Amino acid sequence: MRILIVEDDAVLGAVLEKGLTEVGHVCQWTQSGSSAVHLLGIQNFDVLILDLMLPDLPGLEVLKQLRQDKRDVSVLVLTALGSVDDRVHGLNSGADDYLVKPFAFAELVARIVAIERRKTKTPVTELQAGTLTIELTSRLVKRGEKEIELTPTEYKLLEFLMRNSDQVATRRMLCEHLWESDWEGVTNVIEVHINRLRNKLNKGFEIDMIHTIRGSGYELRAD
Amino acid sequence: MSFERINATFRSLRFRLMLLNAIVVLLASMGTLIGLRAGMRFALVHELDQILSEDLEEIELDLAAAGAPNSSTLSSQLDRKARGHVEHRWFVQIRDMTDITTAIEGKRGSDASIDRLAPSEILWQSINVPSELEHSSIEATVPMTVEGYRLFDRIGKLSDNSPVRIRVGASMNLIDRDLTLIDRIIGIAFGLGLVIAPLGGYWLAGRVTRPLATIINTADRLRPEELNERLPMRGTGDELDHLSHTLNLLLDRIANFLQQRKDFLANAAHELRTPLAALRSTAEVAMRSQRSAQEYQELLGTIVEESESLELLVNQLLLLAETEADAETLMMTGEPVALVELIERSCDMFVGVAESRSIELRYQILRSSIVKGNRHHLRQVINNLIDNSLKFTPAGGKVDLTLDIDMSNTMACFSVQDTGVGIAIDEKPRLFDRFYRGDRSRQRDAVTRGTGLGLSICQAIIKGHGGTLSIESQIGRGSCFLVSLPIYQPSVRQDELTD
Repeated sequence: MRILIVEDDAVLGAVLEKGLTEVGHVCQWTQSGSSAVHLLGIQNFDVLILDLMLPDLPGLEVLKQLRQDKRDVSVLVLTALGSVDDRVHGLNSGADDYLVKPFAFAELVARIVAIERRKTKTPVTELQAGTLTIELTSRLVKRGEKEIELTPTEYKLLEFLMRNSDQVATRRMLCEHLWESDWEGVTNVIEVHINRLRNKLNKGFEIDMIHTIRGSGYELRAD
Repeated sequence: MSFERINATFRSLRFRLMLLNAIVVLLASMGTLIGLRAGMRFALVHELDQILSEDLEEIELDLAAAGAPNSSTLSSQLDRKARGHVEHRWFVQIRDMTDITTAIEGKRGSDASIDRLAPSEILWQSINVPSELEHSSIEATVPMTVEGYRLFDRIGKLSDNSPVRIRVGASMNLIDRDLTLIDRIIGIAFGLGLVIAPLGGYWLAGRVTRPLATIINTADRLRPEELNERLPMRGTGDELDHLSHTLNLLLDRIANFLQQRKDFLANAAHELRTPLAALRSTAEVAMRSQRSAQEYQELLGTIVEESESLELLVNQLLLLAETEADAETLMMTGEPVALVELIERSCDMFVGVAESRSIELRYQILRSSIVKGNRHHLRQVINNLIDNSLKFTPAGGKVDLTLDIDMSNTMACFSVQDTGVGIAIDEKPRLFDRFYRGDRSRQRDAVTRGTGLGLSICQAIIKGHGGTLSIESQIGRGSCFLVSLPIYQPSVRQDELTD
């Protein structure tokens, strides 16, 4: 994917460019809003990663100009302003997603993929990762030939992991998906459910499909 | 500069009190003196009237005995009277119907010359004798004052029963002299008052305002960093003592607030710098020497973990600050929120954790209600309270959530009751202090670990929603956190919102 990163902080900007390039995207990084507008005018990008607090032109202004020009580029807003009002305001201004600093890099990657997927919107009836399959209509979970019984929470969790397979799903993403709230606390409310899901999936199998990524979250990989 | 100082003096309380005091004292003394003077004059005139009316009665008797107004016996008697009252310029005039007039006037000592003090013609002419009195005798007459003379008129009768008109009079010069003297005394007294009243007022106002000066001086010395000093109490129990006491209480509160802020800063510095130090040290250690990929993974993992705990702390501090700053607007801008929905979600979120610790997490909805506020913040409150109760409840215990409506039907009551370790009474007031962690959570084990901000955040959010958060607890038996939030009673249809 072609990604334009607009971030005035030199360290964060550079690391985002490096990280996203390593993940396989084509990245360009600029530190000012006006040059972002210029670049968007002459090149095509799939995703714009936009910091809201820019020295010259406010991020929301860039967004406005972009939407006025009717450019078909997905926008992921990065900001230090994390209150609910700020989020709502950002999303109303035409952003596709909103990520509050500091964020897990894995989450940024996952959200970029999610944005693009939302755009293509190919309806799926089945999810698959290695030997593991989910039939979305019947909610039937199978590993190989073995049927696996899951609680609703476990099912929701697995579905999310499957949809984001081979990518890290952060605890925050999982919390928001499962309970519509980002739990700001030390207690790891996800872990218990992950462990149960893991036990159910792994029963009778040798390979653990759910990997814990230290400090970030969990990742489901094909066995 | 000097003008300003003069201006300040004029505007000072002491000056104004002095001025007011002087005006009041002078007006009061003036009133008293004028009243006294009037009383004195009345007494003196009354005394003169007494004398004159007695004389009149004597003359009347004498006339009744005498045949004519100009008889020699009558004349000598009148002469004697006149001599007795010479200093009053006493006179008598008698006129019969034939217009024969006898006039006796006061004489000075043995001096034969007659003071023509009261020209008889003028005196007679200037007095209107009512016509009906012309020929009749009257018992008493009303005194009159004419041209500085006090006069008594009467119709008397001679021995042959023929009427005569009698007029007795005396000059009021003596009274006037006495009154002049009194006026002079009043003048002197007023002059003295004019000097003494402001001086006394100044002294008195000084006495009153001196404690104020002490208060001002002490208050002037107080600095935010040094609030130890308190205003002196004189023990008189008067208004100024009351003022000092009130100000001292205010100072206590300010000092307490500043101390809390200081503690908060110290704690925040510690809590923020420690993970930052760990972060930096880990990175530096990682770079000191060549390591295997495995070792790098390990060290970088630590860095990410430390960043995470720093992130949590910063997020919580900002949430706290945000909640406190927006306290006024939280309710106003809020949306209707069904508490039951939040409770269900939160319980679902923690039920796994509870089960893993062998704690029973249950909720019951007695009467559900809708409040107005910020959904995410209220959710945070419920999450924090459940998390908190789970932390301090041992395996095999219970955490019960109950949602109800209070007796007055205006507040939604939500409680989290646990069978945990409980909270000591002396710990209670500090429970909501930022960064306060109970003794049991000091050890920072995996379960009871926390930022120490959870309950402060809960309280700030609930306060912002116009509610209260309270605790009931017994050591060893458990704690109960009670949240009361005002129920949202909209004018629109209720079922619109519950959908």
